[in-house]
Amino acid sequence: MAMKANYLFRETGSNLRRNITLTLASIVTVAVSLALFGIALLLRQGVDNATQRWEGGIEFVVFMNADASAAQLQAVADALDASPEVAKITFFDQDKAFEEFKDLFEGTPELIETVQPSDLPTSFRVVPSDTDPDAVEQLASRFETSPGVREVVSAQETIRNIESLTNIASFIVLLGSVFLLAAAAALIFNTIRMAMFARRREIEVMKLVGATNWFIRLPFMVEGMIQGLLGAGVAVGAVFGANWALDRYLSDRNSLQLLESFVVATEDVWRTSFLLLVIGVIVGTLGSAIAVSRFLDV
Amino acid sequence: MIKLENVTKAYKGEVLALHEASCEINKGEFVFLVGPSGSGKSTFIRLLNKEEQPDKGRIFVAGKDIGTLSSWKVPYLRRNIGCIFQDFKLLPNKTVGQNVAFALEVIGRPNHVVRNQVPAILELVGLSKKMNNLPHELSGGEQQRVSIARAFVNRPLILLADEPTGNLDPATSVGIMRLLDRINRTGTTVVMATHDRGIVDTMRRRVVELDRGTIVRDQARGVYE
Ligand SMILES: Nc1ncnc2c1ncn2[C@@H]1O[C@H](COP(=O)(O)OP(=O)(O)O)[C@@H](O)[C@H]1O
Ligand SMILES: [Mg+2]
Repeated sequence: MAMKANYLFRETGSNLRRNITLTLASIVTVAVSLALFGIALLLRQGVDNATQRWEGGIEFVVFMNADASAAQLQAVADALDASPEVAKITFFDQDKAFEEFKDLFEGTPELIETVQPSDLPTSFRVVPSDTDPDAVEQLASRFETSPGVREVVSAQETIRNIESLTNIASFIVLLGSVFLLAAAAALIFNTIRMAMFARRREIEVMKLVGATNWFIRLPFMVEGMIQGLLGAGVAVGAVFGANWALDRYLSDRNSLQLLESFVVATEDVWRTSFLLLVIGVIVGTLGSAIAVSRFLDV
Repeated sequence: MIKLENVTKAYKGEVLALHEASCEINKGEFVFLVGPSGSGKSTFIRLLNKEEQPDKGRIFVAGKDIGTLSSWKVPYLRRNIGCIFQDFKLLPNKTVGQNVAFALEVIGRPNHVVRNQVPAILELVGLSKKMNNLPHELSGGEQQRVSIARAFVNRPLILLADEPTGNLDPATSVGIMRLLDRINRTGTTVVMATHDRGIVDTMRRRVVELDRGTIVRDQARGVYE
């Protein structure tokens, strides 16, 4: 027996409208949880991208004290020259550092006015020949204690800090979104139970005249599925919106090269969106399936 | 058509609703189930369309042991059994025509069947003019006619009626009984629970009397007592 499509649409549609408040609550909960879930996933993806990019041949920077003597500068330069692990050295004097500073803070001229080239530290930008993170780390640390050196900053380290921070953050967000997702399933369960209660007379008559279980169940299951799907649709919108906002933010500050590598490929956004839709449908169908099997026995 | 073999039914820890009941009803018969309130008439009827399961004994409907029927087949059993009740069980927000059409739609009958059958059956129960009215705009007798139309529109083999005149005045009840009699004459087996003495005594059909769950009398062309 084929389920009549127009019957299904009519029943599902009127169910959705009848319980509009509960339906909206379910949709919003699904949307919020999936949006968080999606954004957390993309954040991870972004960090992965950044790490990958920075792992390929990145430099470290040896910052000298602003008042380092010429002899100290020369000593560090010689030591770097003598290291076989170093592929390339670029010396940034105070003028060059000032240029870079102006680039970085282009948007805030007030800040630039307060700084003189002589306030800025000179530095060596070092490209190691061996890009293995541990080898770079080791090489960089050798210069930390040289006289006149203020600090050695390796991008590696920064990236690692960001990575572990975002990993913790995204784990917490993912965990929270899973709890919210469970709440969404419970809400959908409840909405469907209410819908079945509202239609108990119809259900009674349907059983009486011999409608099959699936015929009775399907409109409710579809209703739950649509709630999940609509919620996921909103979440996909939010994820695209967040990604677009981030893109814009980063391209406005295009000199922040470190952040730029966090940009996530559109392809990844699509893949995440698809995942969200699938999860939404599963959560909605599951919530309603449980309600239907609990309250619709023959 | 219907056969009960030593059927016993007790609700959770309660007194017996039906005790060792055996009874055979042939195709085309009209049977009154009589007895005081609580004697097990409704239980008898609910067992026949598998709304309840017996604790002991076997029940056959249309040659099939319905105790062994798997649950997905129950709807198909019910398509052969029409049911009417004291409280009509009409859907209040659907018109007369929609109420009857609903019974066909939910068992997947095609639209053209629904379009043909609904007016025809409403004609049969004399309600063609009320097709677009809502149930609350109808008298009790008219509402019961709608519920008969809904039960019979699928041409079931059996019609089960649980006190169908319980809410109706005697004059209206006579009209309902005429209709059930007409349906019975088309070959439909009718089982009707009632404690309306007047109806049983004028119809003079087979009477099965229940007393505290036991069949105490089974009489052809019987009277109420
Ligand atoms: N769903 C039920 N749960 C518990 N007891 C019930 C239920 N239905 C009927 N009974 C009991 O079973 C007995 C028979 O009831 P019923 O079949 O409704 O009798 P009748 O229709 O003749 O009034 C009564 O004692 C009644 O209280
Ligand atoms: Mg009763």
